[in-house]
Amino acid sequence: MKQEVSPQLQEDQKGPWWRVFLSFIFDVRVLGVLGQIGFILLVIIIAQTIGGNFSENASRLGESQFICRDGTFSYRCAYDFMDSESGFDIAETMIDYVNTDPYWTAFKVGLLNTLKLALLGVTLTTLIGIIAGIARLSDNWLVSKLALWYVELMRNTPLLIQIVFIYFGVVLALPALKEAIQPMGLPIFLSERGLNLPKLIFTSSASIWIAFLILGIIQFQVLWTSLGRREERTGQASNRVALGIISLVIVASIGWFTASAVSDTQGMLVTKGSRILDVGDLVKFTLRRAKVNHIDDIAALPEEEISAAAFQVCVLEDSSSEANLTRHLRGLKIPYNIHRTDRPDQATAKFADGTCEAFAASKSILAAERATLENLTGNIIISIKESPLVWSLPVLEGLNMVGGSKVRPEFTALLMALVLFYGGSIAEIVRAGILSVSKGQSEAARALGLSEGQRLQLVVMPQALRVIIPPLIGEFLSLSKDTSLGFAIGFPDMYAVSYTTMNQSGRVLQLFVLMMLVYMTISIVFSGVLNWYNERAKLVER
Amino acid sequence: MATMEGPSQSFVDEIIVCENVHKWFGEFEALRGLDLRVKPGEVIVIIGPSGSGKSTFIRCLNRLEEHQDGRIIIDGIELSHDLRNIQVVRREVGMVFQQFNLFPHLTVLDNITLAPINVRKWSRDHAEELAMTWLHRVGIPEQAAKFPGQLSGGQQQRVAIARTLTMQPKILLFDEPTSALDPEMISEVLDVMRDLARSGYTILAVTHEMGFAREVANRVIFMDAGKIVEENTPDDFFNNPKEERTKLFLSQILQH
Repeated sequence: MKQEVSPQLQEDQKGPWWRVFLSFIFDVRVLGVLGQIGFILLVIIIAQTIGGNFSENASRLGESQFICRDGTFSYRCAYDFMDSESGFDIAETMIDYVNTDPYWTAFKVGLLNTLKLALLGVTLTTLIGIIAGIARLSDNWLVSKLALWYVELMRNTPLLIQIVFIYFGVVLALPALKEAIQPMGLPIFLSERGLNLPKLIFTSSASIWIAFLILGIIQFQVLWTSLGRREERTGQASNRVALGIISLVIVASIGWFTASAVSDTQGMLVTKGSRILDVGDLVKFTLRRAKVNHIDDIAALPEEEISAAAFQVCVLEDSSSEANLTRHLRGLKIPYNIHRTDRPDQATAKFADGTCEAFAASKSILAAERATLENLTGNIIISIKESPLVWSLPVLEGLNMVGGSKVRPEFTALLMALVLFYGGSIAEIVRAGILSVSKGQSEAARALGLSEGQRLQLVVMPQALRVIIPPLIGEFLSLSKDTSLGFAIGFPDMYAVSYTTMNQSGRVLQLFVLMMLVYMTISIVFSGVLNWYNERAKLVER
Repeated sequence: MATMEGPSQSFVDEIIVCENVHKWFGEFEALRGLDLRVKPGEVIVIIGPSGSGKSTFIRCLNRLEEHQDGRIIIDGIELSHDLRNIQVVRREVGMVFQQFNLFPHLTVLDNITLAPINVRKWSRDHAEELAMTWLHRVGIPEQAAKFPGQLSGGQQQRVAIARTLTMQPKILLFDEPTSALDPEMISEVLDVMRDLARSGYTILAVTHEMGFAREVANRVIFMDAGKIVEENTPDDFFNNPKEERTKLFLSQILQH
């Protein structure tokens, strides 16, 4: 019996040669291989075109671009120019930098500024985004409409315009430093010169306190898990939050007082004649001069008598000694007047000529300075106890703010613009994620008696996150790359610093390669972390 | 500790009291004055054509839907806008849905123990012990560590029943529990429901399973256009229906 063969196949096998060839070509397996080969060829052609162009340009520039220190030319010396002096100033630096430092240091300053902006931006954006996203779904008409307007406004205008607008239209339009906005009387000043915030200074005794703190946290952890296990076993609720916090606070306070008591690095240079042997003696000293019996009476004195009685003290600019000493003086209610100098010898000179009655600094500086004084034995160094952490508060002095930390207007504006813009996009992602969880899930949670908070936290959010995370990665990457838009308002990020370096050195290629590498590294790290999370949060299905 | 043999005792004569319940969806009136009184341990099957308000009615009983007029009193507690009352009632009323609504990100065991741990504040050990007992009773203890997505429809619905019962409710609401299942899986779910009906739970079930209604129901309620048309014993309901509307409906469904 003859086997049935389809007419098509019969024709293919027996037809003329071109028909056999065509049926070979249109075989899906053959097509797959041919497609691969074609694509590889395309890649090679493109690479050759770009590569040829690149090497032609490079060899044309060779003499000036790839020059080594010994005068020879080599591609390996492409980045040697980065060791030479930069010659330009940078307004905002997180590390020490002067214009005589090499290009590498300048690049590092720019890179740190970019990273600071990206990390702060991502954190704040996530917060704003989640709040606005949940607000969009609120039953409250005003809340949801406000969130809607915010999202639409942010998403429908270009980021660059927002950055420039916030810089010129909002931050630079703030009042002058003298009329700075001070929200609720807090030591926070918002002005056209940016933001002045209190700064927490870690003093030399901080390490002791931090050791205690770590001990406390370990203890907290141990207590937490052991109580938790017992709770799961017996079902008896113990107040482990309160217990844990109380024990942590006790350990931390013991550490605080121990650290303050043993601290012995801060001191104050005074004359023997002042009869000041420790900080407490300053009260008697001031009372004698103001001719009153009690320190509280000083406040009642006329203005000029108070300033006459004020304790004149020299400190170094931007030192933690100032914050520490003024904390003591405020505690003792002693009127004081601070003289800041750039260098220790200037302070010593003021101390010698009597402008300052004391010079507060670290003991090592004071010992060296005391040795330079003519009347060595007439002057003594007394100890000032120092807490592990000291607040340095911003204070207006003349035309400038002293103390605290300064956030420049460019950074303020750029951060505001990035956070507001990307907050809008993330709000929509969060909203979409929450809406992607079916209504049945919420109904089941409610029917089981879960509260609204538990429903969001235990049922809706874990499922929404699987939808939220992948697009969120994209937003984070865009944000960290868009920090380079700070160029428009003169924020010295990596791109701005590189741009100046390019203009000065003419090494365009090298710097672009460097920048691309950095942005790529940032992106890979971000997406790596979030992909790892995403992999973990995946649903198990058949 | 309550046993798993049956529901905990109720001290009221009528565990569900509905008086003149009205519900509107915008202009559409879904429930037009329902009255129903249920004694503890009664099994009631609600049937009716689609759109007659059956599901809406039982969803009002644990306030997944809000009734706008009339009164609903569950185990002596009136459902009002008071959130505390709603939470108390939801703890005592369990619900099984047509689409199971298991939480896909949690294992079967975690699905079941989520509410007992977070709402009843039981220890994990206690909750898991009871969860495993219920999984045994619905016949799938070996699936405890799996995720819902790995189970068949019938198994998922049985997990949903175990999840509801581990909360130890006094009242069980079934909202078309077999409608989304393949025919060969329906019987495994109905077996569990029959078992529960005989254990003394107060049950209100919306279902098209006439066999189940005949076998275990104390009363059958026929709803149409947001009203209770007929309320009868299963025998009389299927053999001597009083109302013309009921006869028409029965003739339509029994033809197939």
